[in-house]
Amino acid sequence: MKKLIFTICMGLGYSQTGFEIAKMVDEKPSPNDMSNKTKMVLTNSKGKSRSNAMMSKSMDGNKKQIIWFLEPKDDKGVAFLKIEHDDKDDEMRMWLPAFKKVRRISSKKKGDAFMGSDLSYEDLSSRDLEENEYKRLDDEIVDGRDCYVLEILPKKEAKSSYSKHVSWIEKSTLMGVKEESFDKRGELKKKKKYHFTDLKGYHVMQRVFVEDVQKQHSTEVTFTDIEVDSGIDEKLFQEKNLKRLPRK
Amino acid sequence: MKKISKGIRYLQLLLPLLLFNLLNAQLNYSGSLNPGNMYRLSDQSEISLPFRIAEAEVGYSLGDFEIKTNSAFEYRWSNNENELQLREAYITWYPNWGEVKVGKQIHAWGAVDGNNPTDNLNPYDYYYMFLSGAERKVGTVSGSVKYYWKDLQIEGLFIPEHEGNRVPFGEQAFPLNIPDLRPFLIDKERGREFGFRIQTTLGSSDFSLSYFDGRDRSFTLVGYNELPNLMPSVFYRKTSVLGFDLVSFIGDFTNRFEIGYFLTKNDTEVDSITINDASYIQFAGQVEYSTENDIMLSVQIIGSEISEINGTMTKDEFQTGMGTPFATFTDLGLSFSASTNYYDDALELMGNTFIDLKDSQSMLGASVKYSPINNWKINVSISKFMGEEGTQFYNMEDFSHLKVGLEFHF
Repeated sequence: MKKLIFTICMGLGYSQTGFEIAKMVDEKPSPNDMSNKTKMVLTNSKGKSRSNAMMSKSMDGNKKQIIWFLEPKDDKGVAFLKIEHDDKDDEMRMWLPAFKKVRRISSKKKGDAFMGSDLSYEDLSSRDLEENEYKRLDDEIVDGRDCYVLEILPKKEAKSSYSKHVSWIEKSTLMGVKEESFDKRGELKKKKKYHFTDLKGYHVMQRVFVEDVQKQHSTEVTFTDIEVDSGIDEKLFQEKNLKRLPRK
Repeated sequence: MKKISKGIRYLQLLLPLLLFNLLNAQLNYSGSLNPGNMYRLSDQSEISLPFRIAEAEVGYSLGDFEIKTNSAFEYRWSNNENELQLREAYITWYPNWGEVKVGKQIHAWGAVDGNNPTDNLNPYDYYYMFLSGAERKVGTVSGSVKYYWKDLQIEGLFIPEHEGNRVPFGEQAFPLNIPDLRPFLIDKERGREFGFRIQTTLGSSDFSLSYFDGRDRSFTLVGYNELPNLMPSVFYRKTSVLGFDLVSFIGDFTNRFEIGYFLTKNDTEVDSITINDASYIQFAGQVEYSTENDIMLSVQIIGSEISEINGTMTKDEFQTGMGTPFATFTDLGLSFSASTNYYDDALELMGNTFIDLKDSQSMLGASVKYSPINNWKINVSISKFMGEEGTQFYNMEDFSHLKVGLEFHF
C-alpha cells in the first residue's frame, strides 16, 4: 500500500510542495541500525592529503552514533558518542584514553568541524523536518538522474551555522545526490556529493565528497564493511562502550 | 610412554578450546617512542631527569572480558639509567549493566581538566608532574564496579592498600623543595581505601557526587618523637573527601566546576602532636569557548581554603596531602590556555599561563607540535617560571626550560 501511495505521489510529482518532498525523504525506509568502517581523506589547496580511519555504529537514523578512531595512530582509542534528543540538547561525549576520562563536550556549536574535516557536527546530524522551510525549485537532471531540487532554509530554532542549502534529490530513490550549503552571509560554503549502494533493500551511503569552497579544502569519506539491520543493541550507546573497540 | 600419550590426549582436548579462544579473541596494541630532552633557559644546560622514552599498551579481549596492560620504559640520558615500568595491568568485565575492573589501574574522577580536587584515587609521580592527564599518575592495585542505568552511573571503588606519591628524593635537577633523603615514616599500617561516585544528567547538565576515604597521597608532619632525640615524625594523614562536580552549557560556553571538602586527621601516636585534625576545601572552575576560527580558549580558577585546624600547627604551616597539586603552590590561582590546529591537524599550537592571585608568581608556557608525516611528530615547548623571593615559582625559576622531542606512534 505504501508503495502504491509512493508511486502515485511520484506520478503526481510536480504538484508536490518542497515540504512534501522533504517529508517523503524523511519518511523513506531506512535501516534500524548500521555499522561500517570509515576512511576520511582530507586534501588541502596544495593537494596534500592526510587520512583518518574509524569504525562507526549507529541506530535510529543516526540519532545514536558511536565512533571509534583507529588512525592516525596517536588518536587510536579515542571514541565519540552522540545521542540526539527531541526534547533537550543533544549529548556528545568523548573518551580520551590519555586522560582516562569520558569528557562531555558541547553539542551547541554545530558548525565546528568534525575531526578537522570539512564536515561539521551539523552536517553529521539528521535534519529536523519542522526546523526548516522548504521551497521547491525547478527539477534538474544530475549525472543522468532525474532530481527534485529543494531550497532548504533553516529556521531560527535549528540554530544552524548555514543560511541556506540547495539539495538535489533523485526522484526514483529519494536520496540526495548533491547539496550546496551557504554560510550566514549567503555565500556558497560547501559543495557535497553523495554516492549510494543498495543493501538489503535500502539505499546506503557509500561515499561522500565535501568541498569547502571558501577554504579550498576537501574531504572524501568512504564507507566499507557496511552492515545494516544487524541487530545492534541500544545499550551499545553507553559510555562504557567508548572504552573498547568492538570486534567488528 | 603412557605419560606422553596421556599428555597428547589432554592437548587434543585443550587444542579446540585454545583455538576457539584465539579465533574469538581480539588483540589490540598501540604505543609510542618519545625521545626528547630538556634544556635550562638560563644557561642552556641539560636538565637530567628520567622520562618515558617508550610506551606500549596491549589489550586482549574475549567476549565480555578484556585484559589491558600499559607499560613504559623510563630512561635518563645522563647516566643511561633505565627502568621498565608496568604502569597498568587490569582485567575488565563488561556485563550488560556496567563494568567491573580489577588490577593495577589508573582512575579519573572529576569534571575540570587537570586540576581536580575530587580526583584522589591514584598517587602522583612527581617526575611527571608537569604532564597532563593519566601521564602523571601511578596505577594502584584496586577494584571498581560501575553500574549504568539510564542517565545514572553509580561507581564503587576499593583499594586494598594505600600508596603514596612517587617523590624524587635527592634529585638535584628537580625544581620543587624536596629533601635529599626520604624522611623516616612512622611505622604504621596504612590500610584500605574506598570511594563512591554517583553521576546523573539533569536537563543538559551532568552532576556528580563523590566520597573517598583513604590516606593523603603526600606525607606531612604530624608531630615529634622525643626519644632518643627530638625527631620530626611524618606520615600520611587519614583523609576523607566529599566531592561535587558538574558540566553545564550556557550558550556557546562549556562550564565545568568541581569542589571537594576534605576532613583530615592524624591517627598516629607520637610524643608531641602538631595536628589532630583539620578541614579544608578546594575548588576549580573552568569555562571553555571555541571561536569561529577553531581556537579553543579555556580559563580555570583554582582555589583552596583551610577551614579549621586542631593542634599546635598554624594555617601557614599546614600542608594539604590530597587534592589538586596546584593547591601546594597557591591558595588562589588563575590559568588561561588557548590551542588550535592548522594544516589538517598537522600543526598544533598551544599557549598557557598560570597566575597566582595571592602571591606574586606566575608561569608561562607555549608548545608547538608538527607532524610532517602521519604518526610522526616534532615537539618543541617552552616553560618559564617567575616569582618573588619566598614563592614556589621563585625556586623554580632555574627550572624554566626548553623541551625538544620526537614522537612516533604505532
